[in-house]
Amino acid sequence: MTNHSFRKLPLAAALAASIAGIAGPALAQDSTIKMWTLNNTGYQEFIAQAAEAFKQTHPNVNIIHETFPGDQYKTSIQVALVGSAPPDVFFNWAGEDARRLVADGLVLNLTDLGTADDGFQNTLSEGWLEAFKYDGKLYGVPVDAVSVYLYNNVDYFAEHDLTPPKTFDELTDICKVVREDNPSTIPLPLGNAGRWKAIHLMTMLNERVIGQADAAADYNLSRDTDELFTDPGYVEAFNKLVEMQDAGCFEDAPNATDSELADVMFSSGASPMSWCGTWCMADFDPEGVNYDMTRFPVIEGGRGDPDAYFQVPEGYQISAKTADPELAAEWLSFLVSDDQAQKFAEILKFLPSNPTNIDKVEGATEYFKWAAADMAKYSAGVNVLDVSLEASVAEAYMNASVEVLNGTMTPEQAVAQIRDAAVQAQAAQD
Amino acid sequence: MKRFRIVSVGLHLVVSLWSLFVLLPVIWMVLAGFRTRAEIFTDPLGLPRSFSFDAFERAWNTGIAGFIVNSIFVTLISVAIIILVSSIAAYVLARTESRVLKILYILIVASFAVPSQSVLVPLYQIISAAGLLNSLFAIILPYAAYGIPFTIVLFYAFFLEFPRELEEAARLDGCSRLQVITRVVVPLSGSAIASAAIFQAVFIWNEFLLALLLLTDSRIKTLPLGMLNLRGQFSSDWPAVMAGVSIVTLPMLILFILAQRYFVRSLAGLGK
Amino acid sequence: MPSSSNDALARRMRVAGLNGIMLAPAFSLVAVFVLVPAVITLIGSFFTFGITSSAWKWAGISNYIRAFSDPIFWVSLKNNFIIIFGSIVTQVGIGTIMATILDRGIKHGATVYRTIIFMPVVVSYVAVSLIWMMIYDPNVGSLNVIVKAIGLTPPRLGWLGDPNISIWMVLITAAWANVGFQMVLILAGLQSIPKQLYEAAALDGAKGMKAFWYITLPGIRNILIVAVLITTIGALKVFDFIFVMTGGGPANATQVLGTYIYLQAFNLGNMGYADAISIILLVIALILGVAQLKLSRRG
Repeated sequence: MTNHSFRKLPLAAALAASIAGIAGPALAQDSTIKMWTLNNTGYQEFIAQAAEAFKQTHPNVNIIHETFPGDQYKTSIQVALVGSAPPDVFFNWAGEDARRLVADGLVLNLTDLGTADDGFQNTLSEGWLEAFKYDGKLYGVPVDAVSVYLYNNVDYFAEHDLTPPKTFDELTDICKVVREDNPSTIPLPLGNAGRWKAIHLMTMLNERVIGQADAAADYNLSRDTDELFTDPGYVEAFNKLVEMQDAGCFEDAPNATDSELADVMFSSGASPMSWCGTWCMADFDPEGVNYDMTRFPVIEGGRGDPDAYFQVPEGYQISAKTADPELAAEWLSFLVSDDQAQKFAEILKFLPSNPTNIDKVEGATEYFKWAAADMAKYSAGVNVLDVSLEASVAEAYMNASVEVLNGTMTPEQAVAQIRDAAVQAQAAQD
Repeated sequence: MKRFRIVSVGLHLVVSLWSLFVLLPVIWMVLAGFRTRAEIFTDPLGLPRSFSFDAFERAWNTGIAGFIVNSIFVTLISVAIIILVSSIAAYVLARTESRVLKILYILIVASFAVPSQSVLVPLYQIISAAGLLNSLFAIILPYAAYGIPFTIVLFYAFFLEFPRELEEAARLDGCSRLQVITRVVVPLSGSAIASAAIFQAVFIWNEFLLALLLLTDSRIKTLPLGMLNLRGQFSSDWPAVMAGVSIVTLPMLILFILAQRYFVRSLAGLGK
Repeated sequence: MPSSSNDALARRMRVAGLNGIMLAPAFSLVAVFVLVPAVITLIGSFFTFGITSSAWKWAGISNYIRAFSDPIFWVSLKNNFIIIFGSIVTQVGIGTIMATILDRGIKHGATVYRTIIFMPVVVSYVAVSLIWMMIYDPNVGSLNVIVKAIGLTPPRLGWLGDPNISIWMVLITAAWANVGFQMVLILAGLQSIPKQLYEAAALDGAKGMKAFWYITLPGIRNILIVAVLITTIGALKVFDFIFVMTGGGPANATQVLGTYIYLQAFNLGNMGYADAISIILLVIALILGVAQLKLSRRG
């Protein structure tokens, strides 16, 4: 009742909330599930409707949803999990960070949870669940996977008689053609201010040049110290980045340009191409740009499997400190149920781990369907470098990419710096 | 006198230039809030074509009201604690002959030099272990602790010069020591207290690092975090970011202009 | 006799007890949140441990050795000193000039100027950083437009993206925010110089710059030391500007100790190493603090 009259006054409501915050959470005997995710467009909406629907079967459960921008997320989640008020359920990428949280005992073992008929272990395929398995035990519920594609502006390409690039050389040629047509048009803007755009590109360049089979031992630091990151392919991959830059693909100051601004340059029609995630569809669609998507082109003479492609499984993990593991697991089962997976795809435009209703997704564009189908065709998923590498090596990789783009380091120096970080990280592991 | 005129004009020019340098960014900030993203992109310096409050609405909807309430709450309580606790402690320290207490005073002076960055890790662990993470007291107590040393030093110097005859007269009238402090010393220390309070209030209102570390729950974030939030949420949508910054900054600027005499005099008092 | 000495003892005990009670709140807060954490930092700096791991491994002085052989640590330290000296020159320097002009140079409008110049002090550093990020933005920023308008070429990599200039851009922003505070501080000092001194000097023919050198500067010596002290400590602790504007980048070019501690501790999870850098920062802060206190005592 008091709550009701407060609602008319936003300030008073906020004051009440802040006082509640002081008094400590969970005033009522209702149970709450605190959930953390990224702040992708639509995540608030998706969780809000899911929480509402969940109430039909669990009337006393309140979902508190908090969102974070991507660059702060990794830090916030680690800090929160060791703290006294961790979220019960949280988003994470399947990769090195998730593995470390498991090793440090902060994440709940889900092997015996979600096994009911409508539990996540039954709704999701073995292949998906594999993404969050460490030492044979399950530590997370995959909810979706993201990939990154080369988007092109269909109208621009038709007008200039261009076809989407199938090989790397065709890609650089397109950049040159675009620049010849109008030097101030940026063919493929790279908003690397957050340092992850270039890493997404390097992930694919490494894959095309070296291939996972040869790179894995460097990525997971299992190679002999003397040979760590000595494969000439790493330098070659940076050379390819420089080739793209020399062909005029990027803007002058990629390291000072926000990723979102680069996306806007594409969606506003100012730039004909974009290297953007599957999540970008949700941002491009309302802008009305007529786009098409292709995979990153292959590199002639590269060692990578041409059918292996960028794929980062994402999902939810449960904190080891959660008060009610059963309830948290029920909530996650609910989130990946057929209906909610459909809503997830509709609202967030992500490719859900539960594909049962994928054909019923309302408002699904042909590209959404295409990407969903294409992702099923990968011969192997390639995890992004900043998720799959040890934290300090990932940091070194991001900085090296920045320096190469800035011209303050040669590809050789960049790889040497990464190697140093890897050697140190390897030494610290023992 | 002609030379004098030229010098005077030159001096005016110097301060005017710096004043302009100070004002321009503030003006750009406000104007940017009224423009659209497309306008900013095509003409960064232009004037808004129409005064739309669209961006302000978007920014306001990120929960700025809540951030403001949190900041007011945190600032008021922290400053109150700092002033109360420091004035009593400084008085005792300024009046004591005890060796132990003198050492204590030196310890407090030394703690003034400890940057909060150097204790981030354990501070986080302590707050977390006390179960205070994500409550406003998680931030109020460290703010108080970091404000106390400087305030004690300030008050200590002030109380050393405080006329003791007044205190003795009060003692003869039967006041206890605490009463001497609350009825005689504090009422006559208005300027020192105002100086310290305003200085600490400005510092706490704007504090960012500890808040960043200790407050993750969006319901209890303070304003600096709220503004960083704008950037996280709107990224390169500068009209929305600047509208949010304007909403937060303009009332402070107006408040300052109204009370500027008081502000300036109080802060200037710190140097003495 | 024994009873009166007992009384005295009791009285002393009571006073001591009362003193203790009155000091307890202040001292316990400082102890719990400043002194004890400082000691834990010192202890932690001899171990390796991660943000999410509870196992502390003895590391001896290897964290310190690592700091001295870590090029980014040196870059951070160098940047801190660039900001310290840069801030003293810009903030105290310009602050002194503005204060002197407002004190004796001009007759009209001094209050208006003072209000404007002081204004940024009430704006939080995060807000200041955001405003200047927009100004420096290579795509939508006003600085590029202005620089182009006067016929110059803006840096290709962006004002904050070019590792050679980004730290100086941060310095300009810091000056914008802080000159007003220094000016007001110094202005108060100037106003406490007796006017008769200037009149007497004028009779001796000392005017203008001469009066400034021989009367003004000595008159505000102590205030200037306080101003330099505040600026130095502030610059050593700089965090907000760097964290918000550049995040320490491009590629660590604007890293300072404050942001590097945060990066190592909370992004890379090297808490022991972060503790070692914290202790180095603490020692530098103490040395600078003591040196300047000594300097001001001599006056």
